[in-house]
Order: sequence, then C-alpha cells, then structure tokens
Amino acid sequence: MYIHSSSFDLQGERKSMYKQSENRFFKCGEKTSPISVILVTSGSRGNKLLFRYPFQRVADCTSSLTTKQRSPYALNTTGDVLEDPDGDSREQTPLTDEQLVAGFSDIILATILATKSDMCGKKFELKIDNVRFVGHPTLLQHPHTIQVSKTDPSPKREMPTMILFSVVFALRANADPSVISCMHNLSRRIAIALQHEERRCQYLTREAKLMLAVQDEVTNMTETDGSPQSPFRQILPKCKLARDLKEAYDSLCTTGVVRLHINNWLEVSFCLPHKIHRVGGNHVPPEALERSLKAIRPYHALLLLDSEKALLAQLPLDCSPALVRLIKTCSAVKNLQQLAQDADLNLLQIFQIAAHLVYWGKAIIVYPLCENNVYMLSPHANISLYSPLAEAFGQQFPGHDLPSMLAKFSLPLSLSEFRNPLDASVQEAQLIQMVVWMLQRRLLIQLHTYVCLLVPPSEEEPGLLRDEELPLVARVGGRSLSTPSALSFGSPTSSDDMTLTSPSMDNSSAELLPGGDSPLNRRMTETLLASLTEHERQVILNIPAAQSPEDLRMFARLLHYFRGHHHLEEIMYNENMRRSQLKTLFDKFRSVLVVTNHEDPVISLFQSPLE
Amino acid sequence: MGMSRIECIFFSEFHPTLGPKITYQVPEEYISRELFDTVQVYIITKPELQNKLITVTAMEKKLIGCPVCIEHKKYSRNALLFNLGLVCDARTKTCALEPIVKKLSGYLTTLELESGFISNEESKQKLLPIMSTLLEELNATGACTLPIDESNTINLKLIEQRRDPLIVQEYDVPVFTQCKDHFIKSQWDLTTQQILAYVDGFRHIQKISAEADVELNLVRIAVQNLLYYGVVTLVSIFQYSNVYCTTPKVQSLIDDRSVQAECLSYVTKQGQKRACLRDVFQLYCGLTPGTTVRDLCSRYSQQVQRVDERRLIQYGLMKGLIRRLQKYPVKVTRDERSRPPRLYTGCHSYDEICCKTGMSYKELDERLENDPNIIVCWK
Repeated sequence: MYIHSSSFDLQGERKSMYKQSENRFFKCGEKTSPISVILVTSGSRGNKLLFRYPFQRVADCTSSLTTKQRSPYALNTTGDVLEDPDGDSREQTPLTDEQLVAGFSDIILATILATKSDMCGKKFELKIDNVRFVGHPTLLQHPHTIQVSKTDPSPKREMPTMILFSVVFALRANADPSVISCMHNLSRRIAIALQHEERRCQYLTREAKLMLAVQDEVTNMTETDGSPQSPFRQILPKCKLARDLKEAYDSLCTTGVVRLHINNWLEVSFCLPHKIHRVGGNHVPPEALERSLKAIRPYHALLLLDSEKALLAQLPLDCSPALVRLIKTCSAVKNLQQLAQDADLNLLQIFQIAAHLVYWGKAIIVYPLCENNVYMLSPHANISLYSPLAEAFGQQFPGHDLPSMLAKFSLPLSLSEFRNPLDASVQEAQLIQMVVWMLQRRLLIQLHTYVCLLVPPSEEEPGLLRDEELPLVARVGGRSLSTPSALSFGSPTSSDDMTLTSPSMDNSSAELLPGGDSPLNRRMTETLLASLTEHERQVILNIPAAQSPEDLRMFARLLHYFRGHHHLEEIMYNENMRRSQLKTLFDKFRSVLVVTNHEDPVISLFQSPLE
Repeated sequence: MGMSRIECIFFSEFHPTLGPKITYQVPEEYISRELFDTVQVYIITKPELQNKLITVTAMEKKLIGCPVCIEHKKYSRNALLFNLGLVCDARTKTCALEPIVKKLSGYLTTLELESGFISNEESKQKLLPIMSTLLEELNATGACTLPIDESNTINLKLIEQRRDPLIVQEYDVPVFTQCKDHFIKSQWDLTTQQILAYVDGFRHIQKISAEADVELNLVRIAVQNLLYYGVVTLVSIFQYSNVYCTTPKVQSLIDDRSVQAECLSYVTKQGQKRACLRDVFQLYCGLTPGTTVRDLCSRYSQQVQRVDERRLIQYGLMKGLIRRLQKYPVKVTRDERSRPPRLYTGCHSYDEICCKTGMSYKELDERLENDPNIIVCWK
C-alpha cells in the first residue's frame, strides 16, 4: 500500500519550490537503480563469489561460525550508516537497499547465483523477498572437457578451473520489467566481453585468482589479528575488473550511461533509457520511445541536445564516419530529408543514426524551426523562479530571465510573432537561440493544426447516433503513411489507393493530372466522394465552393487526411502544397470541417511523459 | 485471474534417503526431472534462505515457493524441510500470487506443529486433493476457502496490485468514475460515508471538508483511498473564467464509438434530446488558450443548447480530451530588501493560492495586475 505524508504545511511545501511543480508522483529513482553488482563463478573449486559492490558492513562480513537467520530488515545495532566512505554514493533512506542485499552472505549468494550449466546462455532471474537478481550466466567451456592450448605464449599454463561465471545485478523487486530487461542486457554484454578476453588471454581466470587470493589473505588476517576487514575493499586497487564493475554500478545509479574497457581493450557501452529520458520526474518507457522512433517522418528534424563539439568529443575513436558527418551537418532548421542530401547519406541511414542518437539521449525529434511554427509552454515545464534551469538561462542569456520569456509562450506564439521584439534591445538571432534552448530542455511544445470532417446531421433525427454518423475512419480503409525506418516507403494499404494517388515522398500527385473539368477528373472526384454517405455527399456538394471543380477535386483528394490524425504540415509535405492553399481550402469548406490545435502525439513523447 | 494463471501446484520435501524430491504435483508430471534438477537448490534451500519468498525462472517457467524448515529431534535428520509452491508461465506477472504462497507455507507450518499433518504419511496424502481444489478455484475465481480439519480452514484470495495514487491537494475535485449509486456505501469506512454525499464532481476537497464537517486531512486520505481503487478520479475546480485546451486524445471522440456514446449521454442536458457529435466536438475544439468557458458558450451558443457545459468540461478532463491551463504568478523583479516571494514563485497556481489564502480569483487578479514585478505564466 501507499505511504502518505501527513505534513501539509507551507513550510514543508516550500521544499517544492526546488522540485518540479508537476511532480506529484512518488520519486521512482530507486526503482531504476541497481542495489548491488555481484560476480560469481563456478568451477572445479566449487561456487565462489569473487566480488560484490557496494561492500557489506564490516559486521556483516561472512562468518562461517554463525549461521543465524538474518532478516533483511534487521537494522544493525551498532549504527545505521555505512562506515565505508567509498562503499556508498547515494543518500540513505530508512530502509536501505544495501541492507536488503547485505542480509545475504557471500556463501549463499555464491550458491544461488552460480547456476548449473544448463541455465547458461539465457536470462537468469531470481527473486527473493524484496530483492531481484538478474544476470546472464555464461559458460566458459564444456564442464567435462578441459582444453589445453599448445600455442599459448603465457609462461605458466595451468589447467583452467573455471566452468562458468555470471555478472549479476541486484535490483529492488518492484523494478519495472523494462529496467530488468535492460540490466540483463548489460550483464550479457559484459559477459560477452569477458568470455572473449578469457578465450584470448585467460583474463577472467587471472582476475579471479587475484580476487580469491586477496579474499584468502584477508580471511587469514581476520583469524590471526581478529580485526575484521572487507576483502572487497582490498580487491579494488588490485583488480581492474573489480574497478570496472564498481564503475558500472556507479554509472547506473547516476547518469545511466556505462562505458567500460574490459582489460583495457574491449569497450562495453550501455545506456539505461530510464535514467536518460526523464521528463517531469517520470521516466519514458523504452517501448514508447521505440514506437515514437518508428513513427518519425522525413519532414521532422533532429535537434541535438549537446553542442556539436561536446557531442563529437564523446564519440569513440572508431566510430562511424557517417555519424560524425551527420552531427556536423544537422541543424534545427533542416529536416531529415535535407539532412540526407547535405550529409550525403541515404534516408534510411539518417533514420537509423537519428534513432540511435535519440535513444542515447543526445538528440530529440522536433519539427524543423520555421516562421510559422507555433509554440506554447509545456504543461510539464518547470517555471519556478529558483529552478536550476532559470539559473542556467540567466547565465546563457545575461540580462534576461527565464520566467519572463516563458510567460510570452503562455498563449500560443508563432516564431514570426516572437521575432517581432517588443523589446528592441533583443536581437533576432538571440531570440531564435532562446527558443532552441527552451526546446532542448523540453520547456516548449509545438502546436499543429488538425482537421476533421464532420457534416451537420440531417434534419430528420439529429440526435441519434446512426451508422451514418460513424466517423470516416471506420469506413475508409486506413492508409498509414509509414516511415522508412519501418522499411516501407509510404506504402499504400488499400488497392484503391494504387490506382488513384499514392503519396510518395518525392512526387506530388497534384501536378500529374490534367487540370480543368475533364471527364477523368470528374470521375475521379466522384470515386473519392463515393466513400461518403449520401447525406454527406449532398451537404458537401451544396457548399458554394464545391461549384468550382478544382476546389472540389482538391477537397476530395485530401479527404482521407480529414480524420484528425494528420496535421497541416504533414499534408503540405505529402501533397506538395503550400500552407496558404490549404488554409484557403479549409476556409472554403469550413461548414463541414472542424479544426483544432494540439501537439503532435508522435513526438510529444519527448515533451510529456506517458500517463 | 487472466494475468496470473497458475499452471501447477507442487509439494516438495527433503526425503531422508532420496534427498530433495517432488512428492505431489497437480497436474501430474508437469515439472520435468530436468527442471527440478535445475531449480531444486531454490526449492529445498540452505537455512539462510528459509521462510523467504523465492521466485526462480527457468526453462520458460516461473516457480514461486517459500521453503520451510521445522527443527525437532523427532524427525530423521532432526529437521523437516518442505516447500509448497506454484508454477506459472515465465511471462506471467506473479506479484499477486506471492502473498498466497506465503500464507500457504504458514498454514502448513501450523498444521504440522499442531498435529503432525505432514510428517504423518496418512494425513500427508490429504494434500493431493487439497492442492487440486486450490488450483481449480484460484484459477477460476481467484479465491478459495477450504476446510482442512476441524480447527483449520484455508482462506485465500488473489488481490490485484494497483499503482500508488497521487497526493490529493485541497484544491482538487474528486469525481466518481461511475454512477455513485453503483457502490454499496455501507462497505466503506465512516469518514468516506460521511463525505460521499458531497463528492459531486464540483466541490473541491476544502469545500467538502467545510460542508461535511470533516477535518481536512481526513478528507484527503479518504479521497486518496477512493483514488487508489479507481472509484474516483481528480479534476480541477470549475469556473466560467477557466481556460482549457485540447489534447491529442480529443480525436478519440471521433475514432472510438464507445467514447462517443458515453460522452454524448454524459454531456447532454437533462431532459433534452441527445446532443449530436458534431456540436460536442466543435465545443471541445473551441476550447483554446485565451478562451474562457464563458467565451465558448457565447461563441457557440447554438451548439451549447443541448449540452450541459459543466459536464462537458468534467467529462473532457476525466478522459483527458482536454486539459486545464492554470495561471502561475512569478515575481521576477524585487527590491533587494524585501522578502523573497513565498507563493509567487511559479510553483503555485491560482487555484492553490486562492484556496490557501481565501482570496477569490478576481481579487487575486486585481492584486497582481497592478504589480509590475509580477508576470503570469499559463500552462
């Protein structure tokens, strides 16, 4: 059940000044961070826990003398804060995650996490009370054959004793399934790298030996001196692998971006979308992200979230030149199709690279900046006077404050209106920069115009919902204008469309047909209107504008867009029409069309979290 | 029930000579030899893992169990180890089954301690029909009541897990998601019963508290409870001066026939003929930034004839077809010596400020309009 706070006084609420004003959900940061990372192996010497991080408290160190049943909720009586200065990088909560896992001794973890060999090569998932363990146990060799390499150059060649290993992440049990999936993915990637290095130069065996040696040493010391120590703390400075695992854990808990170099050679990189894509205190689920990415169109643009220089500096040396070219050529005013031409790449590549950048949180998809774009304040924007954003804005644009700028977008404002400065001291170029800055920080949403065909009902029974009032979408086959990333360039879905006009990206149907009132055109118009009911057809034909065959033909041709799912800019792009043409048409037929403005649900994902 | 279908119930124990084995399973032969070999270390466990809920996934199956150990000299090897567990498909969500497994382990432990139910070979056989019944009833109805002997009955129920609810603020308005009469009022606690009459989809928490004479925090908690069970949802205070705008979801009114039907019957004025889709859709689309509800009614006077505008807004908010644009005052410039703004920081809406200070919107507007240091953001 939920826990609610009972202090609703103003003092307590002053704290909300520093948080997102819309953040009324309980913080879910802990659910996306691991509690612990553990490395176990199984071999001829049995099951061993080689390393775990964060370290246990000294008092919890494995003791073979006592086998008391430990409740994971038992608070240590000697204090409630971990002494290890480097054992924990996060704030403590009353019931700490560390204590959940600290209750498990090294031995028991080794037993339950080092699985049998028939569980190898697959996702391993184990839940014990409030802790969930996820990993990818990997076989190093067949358990019954031991191979000795004759060509091995290393000086002292022992019989390898390790059969399998597993890098396991411990999470809170209520972690989101997509988070669990991601952690498993990371475990698998690290396993692949380790397996490779093991085969190449016995890297894992060597590191394991080191780790076990330190553990033995410390156990001996404990028995002789009587002063308990954490062996894992001693392992860190000696073993690169231990440091890598610690780094992975720390990165997952903070930025969500992991970059390791296993054995200083193989790179393992990984990002946790839940940490990267956070809007208004909630994370964007990866499936939603993927769905949005599949729906982007050639008329969208890529907006980088870092400066070009900063982004290029983050790329590895052996990265694809196409990626570099794209980053250098992209701009907020250029759509993806233009970007493809300028960067000399094909559109499919552009889509793939763009999706990759978006996934890694380095860019977002927007509609290219132009005069007619209309922006409004995002409902999730943090407009607090004291937010870090306000401070950053003040530094970037001295003399201006963020709330005043945001107030201007309280009513929808087009870029051209914004650029007529009321305040002459502000330069136009800087205004554009401000808009880009605000878009990058998800403070603004863009509004688009959507149109829907709704004919006034007939006089007989106006109130009833008959079949005739069924929206167009139920009767006309849906034509989905899909994107190249789905590997189908605007494929029409119904055979009707094949014979009439197929929207494709580089030609427009408008210019192909002869103009005027030719019989061909009239027949075409009739066919298009045939999908409407008799009543609808009558009403449309009675509109004064319908007397002009050109106008009627245009209306009929665009009929399938009038379902409220295609905005003005999309129609413009697909049909190669000018904004003024469309607006005039809408005006002429306004008695049967209903127009509304709202954000584009496909890319609004980047501005607002899902409900 | 569809989500957490139980495929098999098994009873496993540590046999003094044969070691860990499955003594009974329903249906028979469901768990293969292979599967049990792989997971037995999680079923009959070392002492450190006893009494813990363990869920292990292997070979496309999920096994949920709670290993029990009862120590006593009378048992061979001085301890009795057993585990009554459930098996589901690996993709099933099993959180709701966990309390059931825990309870079952508790029941069996009690039975063993009281009457040696398990260690006695004869009474142990009764387990098989018990497990059969459990499997059948839990899958069918999600609940099971089964007397075991004169003094013990098993009572189990699958409880759906729900998301944590929002914090309820004093300026929020609770509105019933279904007709109020749908609910049996006597099932709810006293506080909730007392405030139920005042939950009309228009009164906000502060008002309900005042009129029902119930302390504010109690009202908050009661409403939060109703929110948790999906009985109510929260909308904002209604005023004719409010401003709303459409969301992409407004298209569902066109696309989804059931939403259409529900909406039209909800928003039609009492005693009038059913409003038509076009009028209602036009009204929703007429809601834009800068347009108040009052403006809407005068601009679309013909469309609004058969529509109750308050219910129109209410429905739109409940279904997410529209959203409210709130005003947030921000004091951007101030005298160095004056105190920092407490409420005019951009974090508190007009709704909130008026609720807390007792001012009306008009009063607040007048006060702020004359202050050159304060700007207002709408979002």
